[in-house]
Amino acid sequence: MMHGFNHKLEQQQTPAFFARGPSSFARLVFFSALSLALMATDSRLQYLISLRQNLVAILHPLQVVANLPTKLYRDTSEYFSTHHYLLDENEQLKQQALEQSIQLQRLNTLALENEHLRHLLKVNKALVQNSVLGEIAHVGRDPFTKKIIVNRGESHQILTGEAVVDATGVIGQVTRTYPLSSEVTLITDKSLAIPIQVERNGLRAIAFGHGRDNTLDLPYLPTNVDIRRGDKLVTSGIDGIYPAGLAVATVSQIEITPDSPFARIICVPTGGVENHRQVLLVSIPKVDVLPKEENKDLSATKEQTKIDAKSPSQNAVEKTPTNQQPNNMSKPNALQ
Amino acid sequence: MHSSKLKSIYLSLILAYLCLLLPWSGLALKLRPDFVLLVIIFWLIRAPNLCNVGTAWCVGLFVDLATGGTFGQYAMAYTVTAFFAVVYQRRLVLFNGTQQVFYVFLLLIISQITLLILKTFSGAEALGWSYLLPSITGILLWQIAVLFGLNTGGRSRGV
Repeated sequence: MMHGFNHKLEQQQTPAFFARGPSSFARLVFFSALSLALMATDSRLQYLISLRQNLVAILHPLQVVANLPTKLYRDTSEYFSTHHYLLDENEQLKQQALEQSIQLQRLNTLALENEHLRHLLKVNKALVQNSVLGEIAHVGRDPFTKKIIVNRGESHQILTGEAVVDATGVIGQVTRTYPLSSEVTLITDKSLAIPIQVERNGLRAIAFGHGRDNTLDLPYLPTNVDIRRGDKLVTSGIDGIYPAGLAVATVSQIEITPDSPFARIICVPTGGVENHRQVLLVSIPKVDVLPKEENKDLSATKEQTKIDAKSPSQNAVEKTPTNQQPNNMSKPNALQ
Repeated sequence: MHSSKLKSIYLSLILAYLCLLLPWSGLALKLRPDFVLLVIIFWLIRAPNLCNVGTAWCVGLFVDLATGGTFGQYAMAYTVTAFFAVVYQRRLVLFNGTQQVFYVFLLLIISQITLLILKTFSGAEALGWSYLLPSITGILLWQIAVLFGLNTGGRSRGV
């Protein structure tokens, strides 16, 4: 007790009028102004992006240390999981694999058939998107936004704008990349919108995150719109970010009030964020590669139509020039 | 004397930051007290010559980094809170336990409300009353720390 008292005495002994620097109010004004300037710079200009990336990279070891306890707990509980449980899980997975392999076989034939049909119709090839598997490191710490942090970043060729998908549906979009991790804004965040299509009738709309609850809104749709409760919403794919046909949400509630010309439609997202740890980051195909391929396709089809239009006899005569096709293809602009 | 105290200030701040970095989720995330701010308030009361408004601002920047929000939001909230703590520091040391707890609770609320105002300006939606839960858990944590012998200068225990 005496010790505590002495300690306090020592506190009081520090002379207040020596070496205190500027007054607290001056400091408050200075640092508040500095914060306001920083906020304005960060939200309007692009200067602080690389600074943030570097700082996060420096702090990465701390983050790894902070994640250690949960990782350790998970690893040990996995280690001590019982024989019986593993057998059960194994059987379940085998069954799932069997079911999915059958589906995959069908998918392969369908994909081939689809390609064939597209070829016949001379439609451009559908875009092939490749993806990276990531693991959710932790949930975002800001209570105002819905975000998750994934353990894949710039060093794994992740770019901002990529779609993030889990086993059950779309969960969000990469909004910020750091060297070793990236920040994913969930579709339930207020700032994110996703173009969707009603699976039942193909109606297109845009879904907005609600922000507060884990729901999505479908605003600006008239009261007589053909949407029912339980309708499945899938990505329409017209934005070039999300692959078409992925599950997004299910309509859970439709409110029609006489005082509003719009229906209030609330949807529950299909993808579960809390339930899964693995997510897929689907990358956007590079734009500079695409037009060349399209031109190639176009030139090839034009060549074909040319040949088809000619009579069989001419066709036979012209057989040799078609061998120079690669030559023509090298300068597709000349053909168009 | 000063250097050892400075070391303990930095060490405690790093520990608090680590607590912030733990992978909180779900209900725990909603209840998570602001560890970093609590540590800053403690040092503002105990060592105002070493820990000042500027320290709070710097630490706030790191919290901004961890939360992924706009730079400067937490920094500003911590600056304002630190100012109110420093202004009343002399009286705070002389307060008895209950008064001090009440005042620290007020400081936590001030920080949250400053943050709420800043976030509202940048377009966030109000979160309802549950937004203030971290202040309550924070003050509970403070009280527990005091009960376990942390000397915050409350008069009633010294005499």
